[in-house]
Amino acid sequence: MQAYQSDIAHYNDTDTQLLGISVDSFASNKRFADDLALTFPLLSDFKRIVSQQYGILDAERNVAIRTTYVVDKQGIVRHIEQGSEAIDPSGAKQMCTLLKQE
Amino acid sequence: MRYWRVRKSLTVVLLLLAGVFSPAAGAAELMTKVKVGDPAPDFTLQDHNNKPVKLSDFRGKKNVVLAFYVLAFTGG
Repeated sequence: MQAYQSDIAHYNDTDTQLLGISVDSFASNKRFADDLALTFPLLSDFKRIVSQQYGILDAERNVAIRTTYVVDKQGIVRHIEQGSEAIDPSGAKQMCTLLKQE
Repeated sequence: MRYWRVRKSLTVVLLLLAGVFSPAAGAAELMTKVKVGDPAPDFTLQDHNNKPVKLSDFRGKKNVVLAFYVLAFTGG
């Protein structure tokens, strides 16, 4: 999330809204957002509904698998990264640049 | 000598291409129901200020990066 925050200007320039999602409570997310001074929303999927909807719930650990989706203005998924790859936001960042050029 | 260098770099290029196009190395199976090209399923969730955020509210206005993360593994 820190990496996204430090690139916030790029996302603003490319008309991109950042949304972090975790299965943590909104109170934990608030602490996390305050600690890192995040300026984009962290959403709480406490009931795991959205993680299940997207099919990324790790049943054993009962958490969402780290996954990044880039959704275009038409609401279509254009890019997905998962696992350790999703830690580095450069692929998502690049996709936002491409979407701006469309 | 030069010939060998060319051959060596050709081999590297071929190996890279093989890596890109082989299904095993290229598209590691992603565990996700939603694929590239699919409409992103809509949802409404509370943000960290307990305000509702609806994905489809951004339609026609903004691209969205949806980053699912795990707080406990993020180290803070």
